[in-house]
Amino acid sequence: MIRIRFHGRGGHGMKTAGRIAGTAAFLEGYYAQDFPVYGAERRGAPITAYTRISKDRILERGIFSEPDIVIIADESLINDPAANPLQGVTKKTITIINTMVNDIKDKFSILGIVNTIDATGLCLEIIGKGSAVSAALGGAACRIIGIIQKDNLINAVIKELKNINLPEELIEKNVEVAEKCYEILSPIIIQHGEDIPDSPIETITLPYQYPTMSSPSVFSSGNIIEKKTGGWRIFKPVINLEKCNKCWICFVYCPEGVISLDESEYPHIDYDHCKGCLICYEECPVKVITVEREIETW
Amino acid sequence: MQSDHTAYKRIKDISRDEFILPGTTVCAGCGGLEALRLAHKVLGNNVVFVNAAGCFTLLALFPYSPFKGSWLYTNMASAPAGAQGIRDALDILIEKKRLRPEEDLKVIVLAGDGSTYDMALSATSGAIYRNLDFYYFCYDNEAYGNTGMQMSSASPLGAKTTTSIPDEQSPMGTKFHKKDIFEIWRAHKPPYIATISPRHPVDLSEKFRRSMQFKGPKLFIALSPCPTGWLYDPSHSAKIARLAVETGIWALKEAVFGETIHTYIPSKLKPVEEYLSVQGRFSHLFVPVRQDETIKKIQDEINYYWNHTEIQK
Amino acid sequence: MARELLTGNAAAAWGVRLADVDYVPAFPITPQTEIIETLSGWYSDGTMKGKFVTMDSEHSMLTAAGAASATGARVFTATSSQGLLYAFEVLYSVAGWRVPLVMVNVSRALSSPITLEPDHNDILSARDCGFLQIHTETCQEVLDSVIMSYKLAEDRRVLLPVLVNLDGYYLSFTREPVEIPDADKVKDFLPQYKPDHASFHASGPMAQGLAVLGGYIYSYFKYQMHLASLNALSVHEEIAEEFYNLFGRKYGVVEEYKLDDAEYVLIMSNTFATKGKAAVEKFREIGCKVGLLRLRVVRPLPTKKIQDILKNRKGTAVIDQNISIGYGGIFYSEIAALMCNEANKPVILSFICGLGGKDISMKEFQKILDDTINASLTGNIPGTQLLYTDVEWAKMKHLLDVAGKPVI
Repeated sequence: MIRIRFHGRGGHGMKTAGRIAGTAAFLEGYYAQDFPVYGAERRGAPITAYTRISKDRILERGIFSEPDIVIIADESLINDPAANPLQGVTKKTITIINTMVNDIKDKFSILGIVNTIDATGLCLEIIGKGSAVSAALGGAACRIIGIIQKDNLINAVIKELKNINLPEELIEKNVEVAEKCYEILSPIIIQHGEDIPDSPIETITLPYQYPTMSSPSVFSSGNIIEKKTGGWRIFKPVINLEKCNKCWICFVYCPEGVISLDESEYPHIDYDHCKGCLICYEECPVKVITVEREIETW
Repeated sequence: MQSDHTAYKRIKDISRDEFILPGTTVCAGCGGLEALRLAHKVLGNNVVFVNAAGCFTLLALFPYSPFKGSWLYTNMASAPAGAQGIRDALDILIEKKRLRPEEDLKVIVLAGDGSTYDMALSATSGAIYRNLDFYYFCYDNEAYGNTGMQMSSASPLGAKTTTSIPDEQSPMGTKFHKKDIFEIWRAHKPPYIATISPRHPVDLSEKFRRSMQFKGPKLFIALSPCPTGWLYDPSHSAKIARLAVETGIWALKEAVFGETIHTYIPSKLKPVEEYLSVQGRFSHLFVPVRQDETIKKIQDEINYYWNHTEIQK
Repeated sequence: MARELLTGNAAAAWGVRLADVDYVPAFPITPQTEIIETLSGWYSDGTMKGKFVTMDSEHSMLTAAGAASATGARVFTATSSQGLLYAFEVLYSVAGWRVPLVMVNVSRALSSPITLEPDHNDILSARDCGFLQIHTETCQEVLDSVIMSYKLAEDRRVLLPVLVNLDGYYLSFTREPVEIPDADKVKDFLPQYKPDHASFHASGPMAQGLAVLGGYIYSYFKYQMHLASLNALSVHEEIAEEFYNLFGRKYGVVEEYKLDDAEYVLIMSNTFATKGKAAVEKFREIGCKVGLLRLRVVRPLPTKKIQDILKNRKGTAVIDQNISIGYGGIFYSEIAALMCNEANKPVILSFICGLGGKDISMKEFQKILDDTINASLTGNIPGTQLLYTDVEWAKMKHLLDVAGKPVI
């Protein structure tokens, strides 16, 4: 059995990537099982997708915590506690990261084999948009495991993207992306982790707690600021303050309120939270906001 | 703290205080959040939101809240009733001197179009009928957004949603007309109703400011461009909100005790095509085959509105 | 203290009045309406201070009640039958907010077919939502239970809403003598509600009822509700003792009627328990050692108490005035479950009676007792039995005939 875990944010298409891997394996004649776990239908929030591939009937169900392969849709997820993509990664795990960051294995002390691929760059080049990397990373997963032929990957990409009503020309471009990923990467021999004997579970008796604690309420108002959303960005707006005419437009139109004005009314972007929607860039009347590809988010 | 402006005339009248902090999981480029952020600047910090189930329910997610003020989740069909309970309780507790008057809060319903146009219509009608002193903020993204864009009765004619996919039987996608919630509300003659757009922040702010003089229901429908559901790049949210107003498909207006005034009248309406063609949810009206009849129908309805409505400013 | 003839509905309203309730959002439904009419009058003539508001539905009504309670007011509301079901999702929401409101349900059987008379499918549908449930037998108990419920709900160890159940018609519209406690004494018993876990005010912002993602977070909050509910058993004992000392009437979590030496136990709830007591008297006259266990606090269910009462008896008949379609009696399943690990347990028989307010006669009690004694002697335990007499069947056949559906 091969267990692949995909990590992404809403909009990355990791549910679809997991399904592409599942379908490709199924078309190849294997038993396959895939499913996503996410909170709500929204962009940017971390999601996880799971794919199991096996020669025999699969009796496992639900999440697994010891993946053979981990696919990470952007490196900002690595340190995001809500995503926790390195959970269960051992020296036998293969991790594929969509990133332009060099030395990412050392930087995050990732165990096992780490491969990087600039899937976003490929998508930007071929599709013209970099937000969804489903075909790229689905293709990457299929190649790494080494048991899936290219034509079955292509058929899986077409099937899954048709399923989400993508127009035909976009499907064609995605097929091209998937093929490219397939060609760039090479299969890696999967070393399954040894079965670690389960330690006995310790259950505790929950004490009664007064409803100040035990109702689903929050007293610390505005504490959501502790959560960083800067990792959502693919592109980063940069304001050239020298040419800024202090019109307030970017400050007013920012939905998140992450652009603040200093005492001299110059705007400053809170990059810890800017999601990179780029409304500021679009609306700046004097065009002093530029856009840079985010290389290392934060 | 409450904005002390006497009137909003220019963009620099907008408060620099923020009341909803970043870090939420709302989609990047959310037009609804932009409108809410601007509205909150006018309403100030002493508020309690009563949030019907919908996209904004997940603004707060245990153990985090983005709100500096208070917030209560209610079921999808009954946020206005929740507002009734809070408003009444605050009045009673102040009256009985168990709460100091300075502890009072403005009560604000937060609801999407699914709740507003469909499920909570009865509860809203009831609250208006009872002349409840509250604000109602509807973020209208014209579909059930939180569940992935299914058709609601706010979905406009010709829009593609996941439950009105264009096919041979109805190539235009949504075949029904958007419910006119403004007129449904207006029939109740509450003190204040307005439509707002996040791309018209001065108009938006001034409407909230004006509404604050009235005791009773004060209702707002915010056009909320939704990159995720309307299928466009998030950077275009403001542009699309502007096109909605400039093409006349979204009329900026208010009604004080039922008397409607348009607060912005485009000097010349842009063709609605300019609005439709930049959104993926209308792409089937243009490719592979241009659906002239549907586009014309949408345009005709806009023309009819602006030619046959007594437009006052 | 005054002693008057009051209906169950009037007694409920009196309980609310004496509890000095701040706020009543309401919606009419038969046979509950009299309660809110009475309260409406008292708020409008100034007898009660606060506000009464007619809402647009039970769903809105309970949302308003929960939100007002979450703001810090003492809140009451009432409904019945379809109204309770219309408010169903809100039951779970407001219980999760841990707000101590009290709600009366006047039991009425559920549609379809639509009817007006009582059974307990309505109230028992709400048994898993987090509201405590107190089921009452007499008009006096209704009044007392409403007052006691506020003290129970507002206790720091509980902080859950309470549903007080009373039967439509047999209690709601039935007058009997009721002692109305002195308002001052009730004030001593039930001081003003001072919320410190949840309230909305400017200087203390809070967000309430947040979404959670993750089963371990959800489980924590749900399990806390369960622990709070279980706490209510001992809190009820304390409150009942205090109530007894002040007002002279004693309420247990269950009522034990002539159980001391009883070999056979009838288990019942609500008003028909009175008829059960009459049957017990009759059986005792002929030397049969029968007693009655009346379920009063139904959530939390006092399982230990019931086990202690039932063990070492010869036979028990659970008389359910409800039916779980496709299973049988709801209380039977709970009693059978809580007794399943007891060593010396009685035979437990299941009877369904009183659906839609159908009467239960002395002859039927006789059959119940005969079957129970027989089962304890022979070990042959019959399955769930619906009590339906030959006379009723004859009348039913006639109606079918009139409806153009002759029985062949």
